[in-house]
Amino acid sequence: MPTFEELRQQGQAAWAAVEKPERPRFVVSINTSSIAAGARETYAALEKLAPSLGFDLMQTGDDGITWAEPIVQVRKPDGQHVLYGNVTADRTEAFAAAAVKGVAQDHAVGVIHGSAEGVPMLWDLDWAKMQVRWLMYNCGVIDPESIDHYIGRGGYQQFIDAAQMSRDDLINIVKGSTLRGHSGSFFSTGTKWQFLKDAATEPKYLVCNADEGDPGGWVNRVVMESDPHMLIEGLLIGAYATGATWGWIYLREEYPLAYERLNNAIAACRERGILGEDALGTGVKFDCEVVRGAGAYVCGDETGLISSINDERGMPRIKPPFPAQSGVLGKPTNVNNVETYACVTTLLRVGAETFSSVGTEANRGTKMFTLSGACEKTGCIEVPFGIKVNELLAGIGGIANGRQFKALQQGGPLSGLLPASIAGDLALEPEPFRALGVGMGGGGLIFLDDTHCVVDLNVMVAHFVEDESCARCTTCRIGNQRMVEIFERTARGEGREEDEGRLTQLFASMVFSNCLHGALSPTIARNTLQYFREEYDAHLHEHRCPAKVCQGLIKYVVVGNSPALAEAAKICPDHIAASGPQPDTDGRCSRGGACCDVAPGDIAVEDRYTDIVPLRVIAPADVARSG
Amino acid sequence: MPDNEATLEIAHLVRDFKPADGDLMGALHAVQHHYGYVPKIAMKVVARQLRLSEAKVYGAATFYSEFRLTPPPETLISWCSGPTCRLKGGDRIRQALETELGIGMGQNTPDNKLGLHFGQCNGTCEHAAQLWVDGKVTGPLTAADAVRLVRNLKDS
Repeated sequence: MPTFEELRQQGQAAWAAVEKPERPRFVVSINTSSIAAGARETYAALEKLAPSLGFDLMQTGDDGITWAEPIVQVRKPDGQHVLYGNVTADRTEAFAAAAVKGVAQDHAVGVIHGSAEGVPMLWDLDWAKMQVRWLMYNCGVIDPESIDHYIGRGGYQQFIDAAQMSRDDLINIVKGSTLRGHSGSFFSTGTKWQFLKDAATEPKYLVCNADEGDPGGWVNRVVMESDPHMLIEGLLIGAYATGATWGWIYLREEYPLAYERLNNAIAACRERGILGEDALGTGVKFDCEVVRGAGAYVCGDETGLISSINDERGMPRIKPPFPAQSGVLGKPTNVNNVETYACVTTLLRVGAETFSSVGTEANRGTKMFTLSGACEKTGCIEVPFGIKVNELLAGIGGIANGRQFKALQQGGPLSGLLPASIAGDLALEPEPFRALGVGMGGGGLIFLDDTHCVVDLNVMVAHFVEDESCARCTTCRIGNQRMVEIFERTARGEGREEDEGRLTQLFASMVFSNCLHGALSPTIARNTLQYFREEYDAHLHEHRCPAKVCQGLIKYVVVGNSPALAEAAKICPDHIAASGPQPDTDGRCSRGGACCDVAPGDIAVEDRYTDIVPLRVIAPADVARSG
Repeated sequence: MPDNEATLEIAHLVRDFKPADGDLMGALHAVQHHYGYVPKIAMKVVARQLRLSEAKVYGAATFYSEFRLTPPPETLISWCSGPTCRLKGGDRIRQALETELGIGMGQNTPDNKLGLHFGQCNGTCEHAAQLWVDGKVTGPLTAADAVRLVRNLKDS
């Protein structure tokens, strides 16, 4: 096996070839988001042009600039390094020719190194200024499939350093850093490691929770697809600190590229003796493998995840015993998520002192967030803990299309829904969210604008949590079924006056569910009654959806007769006639208003019920039925 | 394929998986990767290989929504159920798909050409509202785009 010094020299040489190229080097971001935007096609097109134009080609992971994918960076021999966006395959020819010769102005997003006339420095952009790239140190920089690049940028040095400390010193550094689980639980990582180290039974296991199930959040995906070795190094450091000898990375099924890249990284580590009997000559014995989930959100709970690895249905169980006492295969186990392990590597790389200079008193360091929904720029960023939501929103260009910021849905469907007036001034760290009785979650931030309906979002969330309940606890299984019914009928205009009381009853009883899934399921519904009362009441009492989203409360009325109407009639032949209004339609569209997408000028969306319909008298049978 | 032949083939597929080693998910994935679904006979073979009861394997296979127990359609349309897609008209797309195809979520058309699958957010939210046609992200789409897409797929 090569020594670490040999690996380091090899890595530095490989990285130098990227940093100081002999001829232009095009670096294409290949990740799940960019592939969706056509980056693979861009790469193939550039591959064809490379020989004639005289440039080299390389892939990288995800730099978080999802809003400008497909992204190509061009590094020049003179040190100039420019990031270009929106390089779709059909535009590669003109782009490559311009970028090789000078600067492709049409695509330029920012200059990373050197200068280019008329192009701002990337790190001076609003989007970049607020960021501190520690966890994302290698994201969008190295080739995630090259271990040489990782080592060339200082990788695995942290593990070597850690292995020279005593295990107690190492755990104390992690404890002292205030590092807490980044998945949303925010439990002290050092303390968790101490539990495992102190466990009497052997062998001990590490589990990495990569089952990033919160819809609308993908921070772990960015790490795994862009820098898989950072995660593996974090696992190795954890293995040394706790004495664990085997690890499982429990990866969700929806991330095939991360699966590929993690396996590639693990194989590269085994080849070089980084994973195995004696990691880099330090005497640490550790190896790991990837286990793929299969679409069960509740496996994001650590006991559910352990059940899943144990060949069982992924149902959470009651604690104690805690995983540190009895986890995978009944052995002591520590579970952290991807970002947390990567954060340990980061902590040792930047040093405890620098690490504690960023963030807030209670939460040192940085946190990755993904931004989506109504905001101008969709993507992934890394900011110090404690940044205000409004500052962050300003940095990403605010709300798109000049709309109003209405609400924030942070951290997945269990974490909460806050109105802009409260969310805007909130610092992004766990405590301010907890004080409001909600969670900050694992990093997904979804922005709502005034065209979005919170009752409609509740229908989605209620369905999600009901569907993903493991169904062990009656409170969660049946409570969530009732919530689905209540919100569905409210969105249809059939809400009942007694529903509010029933919801309150559900909120009170569901907290008694065993795991957090059940206990936190009603969070968004509770927030809706708390903060969006007017909107909920409009649905319930007036049978009116103010945002005109809920399909049961609106009707499509033909008001014009432009040529577009003929096209709409083709899309929705069952209720639109090309000749104009039909007298006998009731304004329902069986295709979700597809007609209106085609002919928005000819088809108006109107309230279905214009006069307030009196509420139904509560029949005793109804009360008995929904009990 | 006769059962004994399938048994041998599946046994070969899962030969490297070991009992009490966290291998059940891997074994089921291997079977699904090969056949496009987990056939009934595979439960027996996987159970034998991992020293589990058939009931346990069946229990796990039915717990996870990504394991199919019936053959997949020729083209699988996955509908993203995520919140960002929902905000951008995802539910309208679902209605358009179900009406246009005449089937519900999780069903295939009678000729098995097209099928609808309930997808979980994969974080490509800049393309919301989206569908994945045989795994390829397609979006952003309006309900009308979805109608056209399905009509093209039906005709192709």
